[in-house]
Amino acid sequence: MTRHIYLILCAAGALILATVASGAGAPGVTSSEVVIGGTTPLSGPASAYQSVAKGAAAYFRYVNAHGGVSKRKIKYIYKNDAYDPSKTVELTRELVQQDKVFAIFNSLGTEHNLATRSYLNALKVPQLFVASGATTFGKDYKKYPWTIAYQPNYRAEGTIYGRYVAKTTPKARIGVLYQNDDYGKDLLAGLRNGLGKKVKRIVAKQNYDITDSDVRSQIAKLKAAKANTLMLFATPTFAIAAYYAASTLGWRPKVYVNAVSSAANVMGIATAATSRKQTEGSISIVFLKDPTDAHWKKDPGVKLYRTIMKRYKGGNPNDVYAVYGMSVAHTFVAALKKAGKNLTRPRIMRAATRLTIKNDPFLLPGITVRTTASDHFPLDQAKLERYHNGHWVSFGGLFRVR
Amino acid sequence: MLLSFDWTQLAQQVVIGLASGGVWATLAVALVLIYRSTGVVNFAQGEMAMFSTFIAWSLVHHGLSYWGAFFLTIAISFVGGVAVERAVIRPIERAPVLTVVIVTLGLFFLVNGAARWIWTPETRSLPNAFSTRPITVAGVAFSIQDLGTIAVSLAAVTLLWLFFRFTKLGLASRAAASNPVASRLVGVRVSWMLALGWGLAAAMGAISGMLTAPALASFDQNLMQPVLLYAFAGAVLGGIDSAFGAVAGTLLLGVLINLLGTYVDWVGTELRLPAALAVILAVLLVRPAGLFGRAAERRV
Amino acid sequence: MRRRALGISLWLLAVAAVLVVYALEPRLVSDFHSRDLAHAGVFFIAIVGLNLLTGYTGQISLGHGALMAIGGYTSAALVVHEHWRDVWTIPLAGIAAGIVGFLIGLPALRLSGLYLALATFAFAVAMPSLLKKFSGLTGGGQGLRLLEEAPLQVTGLSGTVTVFGHTTTQNHFLYYLTWGIGLLGFLAAWLIVRGRLGRTFRAVRDSEVAAASAGVDLARTKTLAFALSGVYAGVAGSLLAIQDEIVNPLSFTFLLSILILVGTVVGGLGSLPGMVLGAFFVQYLPDLSTRVSSAQGVPDFVYGAAIILVMILLPTGAGGLLRRLARPLTTRLYLRP
Repeated sequence: MTRHIYLILCAAGALILATVASGAGAPGVTSSEVVIGGTTPLSGPASAYQSVAKGAAAYFRYVNAHGGVSKRKIKYIYKNDAYDPSKTVELTRELVQQDKVFAIFNSLGTEHNLATRSYLNALKVPQLFVASGATTFGKDYKKYPWTIAYQPNYRAEGTIYGRYVAKTTPKARIGVLYQNDDYGKDLLAGLRNGLGKKVKRIVAKQNYDITDSDVRSQIAKLKAAKANTLMLFATPTFAIAAYYAASTLGWRPKVYVNAVSSAANVMGIATAATSRKQTEGSISIVFLKDPTDAHWKKDPGVKLYRTIMKRYKGGNPNDVYAVYGMSVAHTFVAALKKAGKNLTRPRIMRAATRLTIKNDPFLLPGITVRTTASDHFPLDQAKLERYHNGHWVSFGGLFRVR
Repeated sequence: MLLSFDWTQLAQQVVIGLASGGVWATLAVALVLIYRSTGVVNFAQGEMAMFSTFIAWSLVHHGLSYWGAFFLTIAISFVGGVAVERAVIRPIERAPVLTVVIVTLGLFFLVNGAARWIWTPETRSLPNAFSTRPITVAGVAFSIQDLGTIAVSLAAVTLLWLFFRFTKLGLASRAAASNPVASRLVGVRVSWMLALGWGLAAAMGAISGMLTAPALASFDQNLMQPVLLYAFAGAVLGGIDSAFGAVAGTLLLGVLINLLGTYVDWVGTELRLPAALAVILAVLLVRPAGLFGRAAERRV
Repeated sequence: MRRRALGISLWLLAVAAVLVVYALEPRLVSDFHSRDLAHAGVFFIAIVGLNLLTGYTGQISLGHGALMAIGGYTSAALVVHEHWRDVWTIPLAGIAAGIVGFLIGLPALRLSGLYLALATFAFAVAMPSLLKKFSGLTGGGQGLRLLEEAPLQVTGLSGTVTVFGHTTTQNHFLYYLTWGIGLLGFLAAWLIVRGRLGRTFRAVRDSEVAAASAGVDLARTKTLAFALSGVYAGVAGSLLAIQDEIVNPLSFTFLLSILILVGTVVGGLGSLPGMVLGAFFVQYLPDLSTRVSSAQGVPDFVYGAAIILVMILLPTGAGGLLRRLARPLTTRLYLRP
């Protein structure tokens, strides 16, 4: 059945291709320029994530100012889908058919990239470095060979927490607060996976919706279930609210907070609102250098980041999403270099799936961006870190987030 | 799943519900104020409150104490509310009601956009006005912050009531709202009374924002969007023509949402808001004017 | 007599012009932009429906986006789960939304104005949660993706569509389909408004007490108005699903209900011709706002400012403006000296 569908998609793709006029040579590529495009929420409640695109755009301007790649400047177009997947479909079509981009790059959102994946694969347009932590983008490459992810996926992150708890505190009573969408559910699934036989240590689960105004009720229920470990699979505002709610209830569990909400300024607010003791010992994983963490103040990578943000107008430099954007742009440039002067879509896909980048200045030292024919997860390493005296301190080694 | 009855859990959820409701109460009062004076629900009330919260943050950031910023923000918001009414509502004073509604929707986007433009969308926080140390009574935990929130809301509403009941300006304002034609005949400047209503509503909204932000320990431009719906629902439940009714309504709503989410498994957390709204509608079908409202006569 | 003949011939000319423009669209608009136009058509249909309810019957609804969701999901579910051809699902989607509209109309009998606003507002806000909860049917947070899950049922997958021997591209086909249904819907609304039902609607809008004392069955009229406008919204939602080939809870938030209402009021309550302008306003304004500047917050600011300005300058909407502009002509034609 799957193969049947796949064949139909290929046939459809071929026919669509025939109707969509394409000139000689790859679309979006000239001798002086390569045009890529993506979608990102520039308006509405999710618009804080646009820094992912703006950071990348600033990095491309920096690269262009230093001659570009193979004498080509990179033109990066990002359009506003207001976080609505049906708009994402509309705009992606526009990018492919009107703007004739070479590849779709860094589009943000799980449902949004899922919505366009079949279309792009049918047309053999590269869907590069999807800005989403959903596992399927790296796992289902056999069905969707033109799609590749970037960040460590959420399920794998949850697995790490599960394994760590099973190993170090096997008798823990775990309460989980998770956001009621794929992001939260993936983290939860990973946690269950990592706990393995100890999955019964999860004594309570509570979810919240982004339209909720508070999570106190949920935290109260987790406390009432006598949990002593709290998994916070929540976005920054709700993670902070959870810490605060716990403190007003007089509850001080051991907290695991997911990477999305572990930025130093977020933890700083949580600590200030509660107390040093409330956030002390919290655990998370990290793969990017956090520009708000004093530890990285003198780091050359972070300095480069700040310089680029300032000179090429990337926006607010304290925004860790912008660091992500620069890292993914850096990886794209590496893939572009690898694909060589004769730039075609199959060649960029091949380059993107044969990467070994050891010197990304925005990632933790030691992390290698690596892809192979059977490994479509470019970033799958991270370190565990513990919050101590108001700072994150990483411990243990780098390990695979798989 | 049957729960063996845990009275402490029940009491705790009730307390949390009251605390949440207390935060929404002043926004509900703001909605009532504008509804009574202009006859519409101001969909931008929440965003205006959010904008006020950012102003408060800026003041604190520049060194003002919390309470200094609190009162200064209220004053600034009052002026802002009057300015908005003069600039945007006055030109359409005689237009159909729905036109005014659409204008408030336009304000929603405009104010939100302005807040995102002026202050970048990072997570920020407002200091707590009261202590957040937990106090436990019979196994139920709360903090002075919760009590303080409810106290401030009640104080604000009471001051407002005193104003309307015992001052000349308040009387003029009430007259203008209930019978503009007759009021003009006795010399009340009805148009300015509308502006006063908007100013007071903006001040109430500012209080709501400055109470909501510490309750969540952080805030950003999305702060008041959920609160608008809760405030609207609470105000209608309590009776849209009564400020005290609005306060009672939001407190009740807070408790209702939590209890539904805790004790009705099928509802869980995802459907607790729709379920609470369904309950409100059921109440309205029985008592169309809300719990504490007066039934309106229909003019022919 | 001469004046009447002149009036009739002007109307016929107008209708002919509309039909000519409709048919010749492929020559005027590029293949790619036809899809945007088709999208505007979806708004047009929903707006006409809401106008019947709010402009003519005076009942407010802040939940038409949710009714569109019913239509869109009905279509998508029929395509994905029951393998229906996408275009054949449109009538059923309309009926489903019409039934839900009728159910919403029932409380309207006891509630009015503000309370009805809250009820419909609540429905719109609850819709994404409801859609996510019943995930077996709706695909939950990921929604239903027609292209991926039932490609054979999608019309125009190959890029071209042949109807009665004529072949066009998929984009143009979607345009014809949407605006064709839109014109039919407009005609139906016009006939309703002109006829007895329209007068009954207006009577309810202008004074319920007077209407009731004149023998109007308020219950029947209000629920009928809700059901009718629901059908329009359902058809619009269905066409949206067919055009986008996807339905997702994030596409049917309260924002959509706001957009439909804005389009209706900007177009002009109680005025059918303005509805086209309302639809274009809602379709093209967000994009134009982003073009002014994409700096944080500026698109939303511009968007809000535009809405406010239009309402201040044209409180009765585009329809009101059209009426004023046409007044010299209509007084000449229809009033005796």
